[in-house]
Amino acid sequence: MSLPETLWARWVRHAEALPDARAVVHWRAGEEPTTWTRRALLDDATRLAHVLREHGVGRGDVCALMLRHEPRFYPLYMAIAALGAIPSVLAYPNPRLHPDKFVHGLSGMAQRSGLRWLLTERGLESLVTRVTNAENSTIQGILFPHEWPRGAATAMACDASPDDVCLLQHSSGTTGLQKAVALSHRAVLQHVDGYATAIGLSASDIVASWLPLYHDMGLIAAFHLPLAAGITCVQIDPFEWVAMPALLLQVIARERATLAWLPNFAYNFMAERVRAEELDGVDLGSVRMLVNCSEPVRADSHAKFLERFAPLGLRADTLAACYAMAETTFAASQTRPGSAARVLSVDREALRAGRATDTRDASAARRCVSSGIPIGGCVLKAVDGDGREVADDAVGEIWIQSESMFDGYRNDPEKTAEALRDGWYRSGDYGFRRGGEWFVVGRKKDVIIVAGRNLYPEDIEDAVGVVPGVLAGRVVAFGIDDEVLGTESVCVIAESTVRDEAGQRELRLAILRAGMAIDVTVGRVYIAPPRWLIKSSAGKPSRSTNRDRVLGGELAAQ
Amino acid sequence: MISERLRRVILHELNVPDIELRDDMLATEVPGWDSLTHVSVLAAVEKEFGIRFAGLEIMRLKNLGDLQKLVAKKTGTG
Repeated sequence: MSLPETLWARWVRHAEALPDARAVVHWRAGEEPTTWTRRALLDDATRLAHVLREHGVGRGDVCALMLRHEPRFYPLYMAIAALGAIPSVLAYPNPRLHPDKFVHGLSGMAQRSGLRWLLTERGLESLVTRVTNAENSTIQGILFPHEWPRGAATAMACDASPDDVCLLQHSSGTTGLQKAVALSHRAVLQHVDGYATAIGLSASDIVASWLPLYHDMGLIAAFHLPLAAGITCVQIDPFEWVAMPALLLQVIARERATLAWLPNFAYNFMAERVRAEELDGVDLGSVRMLVNCSEPVRADSHAKFLERFAPLGLRADTLAACYAMAETTFAASQTRPGSAARVLSVDREALRAGRATDTRDASAARRCVSSGIPIGGCVLKAVDGDGREVADDAVGEIWIQSESMFDGYRNDPEKTAEALRDGWYRSGDYGFRRGGEWFVVGRKKDVIIVAGRNLYPEDIEDAVGVVPGVLAGRVVAFGIDDEVLGTESVCVIAESTVRDEAGQRELRLAILRAGMAIDVTVGRVYIAPPRWLIKSSAGKPSRSTNRDRVLGGELAAQ
Repeated sequence: MISERLRRVILHELNVPDIELRDDMLATEVPGWDSLTHVSVLAAVEKEFGIRFAGLEIMRLKNLGDLQKLVAKKTGTG
């Protein structure tokens, strides 16, 4: 066990030990990659830290980063940490997000999380100025760090303590109500060290990632882990990968990468969409583990991926999985290196009733993929509605104890107290344990997970509820399975008095646009007559009941 | 200008109602067209016109006008 230290102290230690080792390599399609050695990365971070300090950034200041994913990002992030300030990576706004929604969302987030500085690009200046000009804005200044000249790289000592907050991780959404998970230096380092053991990390491992850095999987697993462990990570801008999914495979082959973390949809997406001509010379034999994480893991997705890429040298035993959340820094459980995630065929009806029972009848089976065993420093239990631990094979809500637990949701003691009680984090996920392994099978909250991104039905219902022609408060949104992409797709049922075909077509388009304005793609729209939606006991239209009705064919999709 | 044939194949793939598509429109301005559907829309266009795009060509597309031009070039009508 190493002594408590700060992130910066750890990075300095690695740079001093092996200054010329590659820390971060950034790939772009059709270009030579940009390589940061440990020394170069740390020097640039040091220079930037001095400039940040001149601008007034100090210890404990929350610095929101709203920048595209490119090579200049990494030293900037590290510079903030060097000052003992708190970086928080935010998604770069999608152009379809409505400017008013963006401003409203960022203002709310700034208030709740106490954002002090906004580091961004000139192209967003007019938009973000609307946020900082507001009377009660907590944001003290907008900074454009890509334009800064660099001074000298005189040594920088980080005056943070290991128990200080080292980063804020915001949940997704655009409403400004996102929770901000606060993690300490100690939690992050302890976590990545423990996780490194769980995946059998060695100095020769190389991480390849296309993941966004505002997501815990991208930030912790694919960035903090390699930086803290002193191994190389190879990064790709997510926008490039999604336009050309073969890029990740090309990068793995060129760099001989051994590890990658992927949300489930990425397996389907690459199996379906990678173009054969882009795989010339690609050999995936270097891969040791592909870790499926951050949305429900599907056995079909693994099978599909393996079938497509086994001819390129991908081994079945690389198909790993983990169960992770920002509140425990990242992973709570992980499958063992060197063997594929175990798959159980359990009876679907029995599972619905709360029990995992094996079945050989494929038509009655649900295939559950293991998320592995708890990682060191984590304890998991499944509990019933009264908080009592249930036995193996019984489905319960998963509660977690972790050495690297978050410090709470920033400025939100109420939500923190709801989620974290007596040292147990209540995940809201349902699952069961068998033979020490955890299987996650559902969730308590109605959150919709699309391609690893959490969407909240309330946000979608609010946006659709104000579309002219939709009856106020008479909307439900929920996720439905997208078998092809191995993820969920957003479905909306809205009540309306509009009955004619042309009017309904217009209404449907308006609903799709309302989704777009909050950066949500609505995959399917049902327009229902007034009083069609069944209410839950709470008096609001029930998502699950009405979902079952449309899936049962009670209403035709528009 | 976006040809009727291109417009139809895009809207059909996205399963959205009949709307106008303009040269200066970004993919993100078309309902249903997001990063996840991007590759499948382009695959549908390839199939419709019997052409193949290279990954880099796809990445360089800035708006629908660029896509129209690329299709025209590939089909020899541009």
